Amino acid sequence: MFLALKEIKHEKLRYGLIVLIIFLISYLIFMLSSLAIGLASENTQALESWQAKSVILNQNANLSMNQSVLTKNDLKNLDLTKHDAYVGQTATVAKKSGRPSLSAQFLGIKKSEFIYKDLELTSGRKAKTNHEVVVDQAFQQRGYKLGDKITLSGTKGKYKIVGFVKNAKINIAPIIYGSLATWKKLHVTAPNVVASGVVSQKSLSYKHKNAKTYDIKHFINKLPGYTAQNMTFEMMIGFLFVISLIVVAVFLYILTMQKLNNFAVMRAQGIPSRTLVGATMIQSLILMVLGVALGLIMMTITMAAMPPVVPMAFTPAIMLAGSVGMLLMGLIGSLIPVRSILKVDPVSAIGA
Amino acid sequence: MAAIELTNVTKVYGKGDAAVNALKGINFKAEKGEVVLIMGPSGAGKSTMLTIVGSLQKATSGKIVVDGQDISNLSNKETNSLRLNKIGFVLQAYNLVPYLTVADQFKLVDKVKKQGNLSQAELAKLLKQLGVDKLTKKYPGELSGGQQQRVSIARALYADPTFLLADEPTASLDSANVAEVGKLFQNLARSRDKAIILVTHDERLKQYADHIYQMLDGQLTKEK
Ligand SMILES: Nc1ncnc2c1ncn2[C@@H]1O[C@H](COP(=O)(O)OP(=O)(O)OP(=O)(O)O)[C@@H](O)[C@H]1O
Ligand SMILES: [Mg+2]
Repeated sequence: MFLALKEIKHEKLRYGLIVLIIFLISYLIFMLSSLAIGLASENTQALESWQAKSVILNQNANLSMNQSVLTKNDLKNLDLTKHDAYVGQTATVAKKSGRPSLSAQFLGIKKSEFIYKDLELTSGRKAKTNHEVVVDQAFQQRGYKLGDKITLSGTKGKYKIVGFVKNAKINIAPIIYGSLATWKKLHVTAPNVVASGVVSQKSLSYKHKNAKTYDIKHFINKLPGYTAQNMTFEMMIGFLFVISLIVVAVFLYILTMQKLNNFAVMRAQGIPSRTLVGATMIQSLILMVLGVALGLIMMTITMAAMPPVVPMAFTPAIMLAGSVGMLLMGLIGSLIPVRSILKVDPVSAIGA
Repeated sequence: MAAIELTNVTKVYGKGDAAVNALKGINFKAEKGEVVLIMGPSGAGKSTMLTIVGSLQKATSGKIVVDGQDISNLSNKETNSLRLNKIGFVLQAYNLVPYLTVADQFKLVDKVKKQGNLSQAELAKLLKQLGVDKLTKKYPGELSGGQQQRVSIARALYADPTFLLADEPTASLDSANVAEVGKLFQNLARSRDKAIILVTHDERLKQYADHIYQMLDGQLTKEK
């Protein structure tokens, strides 16, 4: 500790620059992780709020609820319980003069089923008629108010916003909850079509005609772009960890190389190599702790300054995983210089 | 009891055809309170002897006794502690840790050797004796060569060793400074009861030595 701190104190500029780099890397890791989690949850928020475990879709729909239609015939043998609900999904654009138009997902649901019953409103009330809708808070964040009458692309009618719900997003778009009757108007369908799919809080195994049950995890991974997006983020974050590892390793290695003569003399003077190894590892940890702490502070400030429409979720899990990950990288990074320290031969302290 | 005694010490570097007999049966002794000079031409084996006396490497054969203790067959850990406790090194360069102030050089010794170091009062006296008592807040890079040398000597004496080993201690000094350092070694050996062993080419140091050895081709002969 003594040697580590004294050296950092004497070489403030060097160590300061490395802390700066680590800070920037960890800040970027926190940003990307938050964005990854935020975006991922915009894909799945609604499914999570429903506590869905499985979903019945048309087996030719390639697991897309938007593409799926189920007919009466397909669902003939299904015993609907209170844990199952019909959903009719279609993409639409909501408009009202004086407000920005919004791409949204219209979900038609039934008043008697759990999705409607479990809706948790942040303000207003649930929709009672076919011309009333409940919408995600994203509408509120963009200036929409209770009582606004919006038009939906694909129909002529107007729909009145009577309530707002939180965390109602699917496929990275805010949800407009309305009736199945409205859905049928928006989505040109054959007369005997019932819904896009059936969402269940239980793991069903229903299969009949074109209807097939899918596990919710499978369904989520097949959401358009979901897996590709997550993989992209995971790769970027992974690379950042590796970069931080290399930065620390190279920095400490170069510093160690410059100090080998000193280390040899210290070893000759009887200073144990564990003291020297300890100093290097502690330095690595100090660099990481300072850099990550700055990153956390900066990230907290960023989150406070960020408008709520930006899908970022800086969760405690990210803080913990990011910080611990960086500390680990620091420890691993110090192993390379530690190897060179252990190889120092005190004899070399004496010029030939 | 001699501070250090070598009996029939040999050192062979390498094996077979490439073997170099660097030391060929060295007998040597240094008493506390003495300054001993080891001189000789380049390649004679002086540094080799110094590293063996300093227990930085092992002799090929022979017996080495420090303070009555046979050190010929110690483990790495034991030689480490021997160097920490019994031997003071004054080397040519890189002697001081560049990022520690003069005062901190001594604190570092305290960190690894908790007992038997000089007291603060004794250290202050030693620094005064060496004329570097005003420099304790400075880093090595801010000191002249001669000042660094004297701080190194203080650093080596701080752990209160049995003997002091110096490799070419006057290499970077002018004549006036050589005389000063020579007197200093003589003075320290007497006042602190240390054996001081100097490996040098420097003829000017001869007048401060109690004994002088000549090393030639791996063999040591006593000149004085
Ligand atoms: N590590 C080593 N491996 C092989 N041979 C060595 C090694 N170190 C020294 N020697 C050889 O041992 C002999 C004695 O070398 P040493 O360094 O002890 O001489 P020296 O008296 O200190 O010379 P100088 O005055 O030039 O420093 C030389 O022939 C040298 O080449
Ligand atoms: Mg030599």
